[in-house]
Amino acid sequence: MTDRHGCEECRGTTRRGFLRGTAALGLTGLATATLGTRLAFATTPAYGGDVLVVLSLRGGFDGLSAVVPGGDADYYSARPTIGIPQASLLPLDRTWGLNSALSPLLPLWQSGALGAVVAVGQPVPTRSHFRDTEAMERAAPSSTLRTGWLDRALGLRPSGNVFQAVQLGTTAGQQWAGPFRELSMESVDEFDLHAAGGDDPEWAASELRRWRGALTRLYKTAPAPLASPAATALSALATSRSLKAQGYTPSPLAGYDDSSELARALRDVARLVKAKVGLQVATVDFGDWDMHSGLGRAGSGWMHDKLTELGKALAAFATDLGPELANVTVVTLSEFGRRVHENDSAGVDHGHGNTVLVLGGGVEGGRVHGSWPGLSREALDDGDVAGTTDYRTVLAEVLARRCGQTSLSTVFPGLPSGALGVVRTR
Amino acid sequence: MPLTRRDLVRAAAVAGTVTAAGGLQVTGASTAAAATPPSTTWVVPLLERFTYGATPASIAAAKALGTPTDWLNQQLAPAKLADPEGDAVRALYPEARWDVPTTRSRIQEFSWTSMFALGQATIGQAAWSRRQLYEVMVDFWSNHLNVTNPSDGVWDNRADYDRRVIRRYALGRFSDMLVASATHPAMLRYLNQAESTKSAPNENYARELLELHTVGVRSGYTEEHVRAASRLLTGWTVNDSGAAVYEPSRHWTGPVRILGFSHANGSADGRAAMTAYLRYLAMHPSTARRIARKLAIRFVSDSPPAALVDSLAKLYLANGSDVRPLLRRIALGSEWKAGHKYKTPYEDVLSTVRVLGIKLLPSTKSAAQRRKGLESLYWTLDGLSMPPFAWGLPDGYPDVVAGWQGADLVLRRWNTHQSLAAAWWPSRSQLTIPSSRSLLPTRLPTTYGGLVDALSVRLLHHRLGTAARGALLAFMGGSATSPLRTDSEWLRWRLPYLVALVLDTPAFQERR
Repeated sequence: MTDRHGCEECRGTTRRGFLRGTAALGLTGLATATLGTRLAFATTPAYGGDVLVVLSLRGGFDGLSAVVPGGDADYYSARPTIGIPQASLLPLDRTWGLNSALSPLLPLWQSGALGAVVAVGQPVPTRSHFRDTEAMERAAPSSTLRTGWLDRALGLRPSGNVFQAVQLGTTAGQQWAGPFRELSMESVDEFDLHAAGGDDPEWAASELRRWRGALTRLYKTAPAPLASPAATALSALATSRSLKAQGYTPSPLAGYDDSSELARALRDVARLVKAKVGLQVATVDFGDWDMHSGLGRAGSGWMHDKLTELGKALAAFATDLGPELANVTVVTLSEFGRRVHENDSAGVDHGHGNTVLVLGGGVEGGRVHGSWPGLSREALDDGDVAGTTDYRTVLAEVLARRCGQTSLSTVFPGLPSGALGVVRTR
Repeated sequence: MPLTRRDLVRAAAVAGTVTAAGGLQVTGASTAAAATPPSTTWVVPLLERFTYGATPASIAAAKALGTPTDWLNQQLAPAKLADPEGDAVRALYPEARWDVPTTRSRIQEFSWTSMFALGQATIGQAAWSRRQLYEVMVDFWSNHLNVTNPSDGVWDNRADYDRRVIRRYALGRFSDMLVASATHPAMLRYLNQAESTKSAPNENYARELLELHTVGVRSGYTEEHVRAASRLLTGWTVNDSGAAVYEPSRHWTGPVRILGFSHANGSADGRAAMTAYLRYLAMHPSTARRIARKLAIRFVSDSPPAALVDSLAKLYLANGSDVRPLLRRIALGSEWKAGHKYKTPYEDVLSTVRVLGIKLLPSTKSAAQRRKGLESLYWTLDGLSMPPFAWGLPDGYPDVVAGWQGADLVLRRWNTHQSLAAAWWPSRSQLTIPSSRSLLPTRLPTTYGGLVDALSVRLLHHRLGTAARGALLAFMGGSATSPLRTDSEWLRWRLPYLVALVLDTPAFQERR
């Protein structure tokens, strides 16, 4: 996969940031309409479960660099250059320590809202980004199903409103493949139809009716690949405009980093949770983990920067949610872990077993879950951390215990039952 | 996302507003002279499917040629086709053609200047070059052998990669392109081959070479094959001057076996062994099928007929991986006329630019001013998540509709149509953007229906079906027979909105 996509000097002003600035100069008449202060949303069937947030760490997250087996001598002999020295770890127990780049998450670990599952794997690992991502997101090995697990899960629930399932950011994963209409939004504030704008809110509202009417008619008879996303977009417009008009002020203690796309996406998730728009599942992508070379060391480098961004954003999200964290569960997923042994370019190649982070009010946190096989030569699976826990077991438990999901055998066909105890029953 | 709704799609398309799917069918024949479609034969469907969009000029040029074969012959020999519009873009962006030493001597180390220039020059050539099929194939291969632009490690060599690897072989043999890519500093850096050594080989390139560039993941190679390949491929690296160099001391020696390829690999100079391996992969039947299928997906359908893929794969092997016979077979065959292809955001923007007649500023303006327009188009595409070559992963942008179905993306397409049609941004100080009035015939329509018809013929090359036409009339708040006075708002300030709405129609989202 690619080397680091981006550059140090471009971090401050991202390309998208630049575009926003330029567009704002050119697109006159887009001033925010003030439509009143209260939002009224159509009542949706009662959903009594957690909002599930799936955070995809695409590119192959090296779990060993995040929750570090600092008590395992084999770890240091496999990683003489990139291993995180024990002295710089935040100790979690006798075996495990948290990378200090994730220090904003330590209070959540200590309070029990954050836990980890180690040695999590897939039934049929291939060590290919594309094949493992597809297999993970379809989550139906040795089956002919071509849909994604979230598509199946949502398809089993009573239909909610258009904000029932939201993808924040620009990548829609294969977890949504299938007939269920998820709503993708790059951000809440940018989800708008510019042609129907204007300084006068009444004018903007009447123009929006004109456009929605025409586009709805045009796309009603369109081929399905065009009709479906257009219908979703059109039905979400009014609500997104109201949300934008209302604005959003996060909890003053949250401290989101505005330069981080991840932080901005999670802030929008928190915003949707608190606005009670009917959100049940949110998916967020945070990629660029494919560290074949130049992973860096403790305290600096590629991995350090990525973990710092991840830790800060998740901590800000939890703080912003406040008491609502009780109704939210975040799960991180990545297509595979990395080779245990570093290569000659101070990086790690594609591997298998990985670490899953679970955050939320209902998490049995503050501890490492799963069955740790160790890193001795005989414990490795073809050079990789063995996968002793099927990742679907984690997801199934969260869906069942936190989201009230039924028919799990349809969501994860062929998954043997088994409990980990990562989350409590809601 | 409806991944498994092919049948429904076909049914909907047939029943819907679209009647041109048959390709050669006469569509929307009109009794109103002002609204007569510019072509009722092969020209428009062929141009819509095999170029970045039909324009009045490209339609006229193709008509003058006579037959699809004539058009194809001309497009498959791009060097012989005069290309003043493409030349103008190339003249504006010399750095998009610089080699590595020139780039390193002219720009600051790690600067993104040359990478952005390449992106902008690519957009300009795709939008305005008369060598349209060549530009489409440049895009195809750039995605197949993707080296993300911009990205770290290719600041000094990505333009050279475009010129010496992609453009050089875009209408030639894939086997040659593959060998050229494997030893180019851009690929060596991008997939970490430059850092691979015999003591601890880096597997990144070896794996993607098999999985993405050649045989594909289901061809039967094993983890041991990947490791053997990563050892065989050691030796090449990139030196401090940014040049690809071969260092025998880095090369692992010893016999290797990868799929059906075996080699003693006994020499510290492993270049011959590596080239033999690359040629073996390029001519592997699994590679033939993958390239055949990808081409069919590009031009025919997201799920192309197996018989077509088979015949293309045979042609590929029989012609030593030359892509031209495959393009002939596809374009002169009938399969594409039955298949639906939907525009990617890139194709959407380019066809919008083309059909609205948007051009560079005239040559009387400064180079900096003229480049500003392409820079803005680059950011327009960035806003649609699809500037050229910028896909972050080595597999290239998705070429199927399922990859581009976000609700958010639909809105951003509609916003882009509006922004370009009304010249909000980019503005007329950056690009030559004809007024919306210039899209209408000299004798202005006198009814609302006449206006809708004139715009759809000009922008979609056919009249809209009854339902879509009705939607546009309702948008205007009138009926087909409502009189259109010369001072009507629909001929004045509202006209760019109506133009945008025509571009928003599902008909414009198909390449047909």
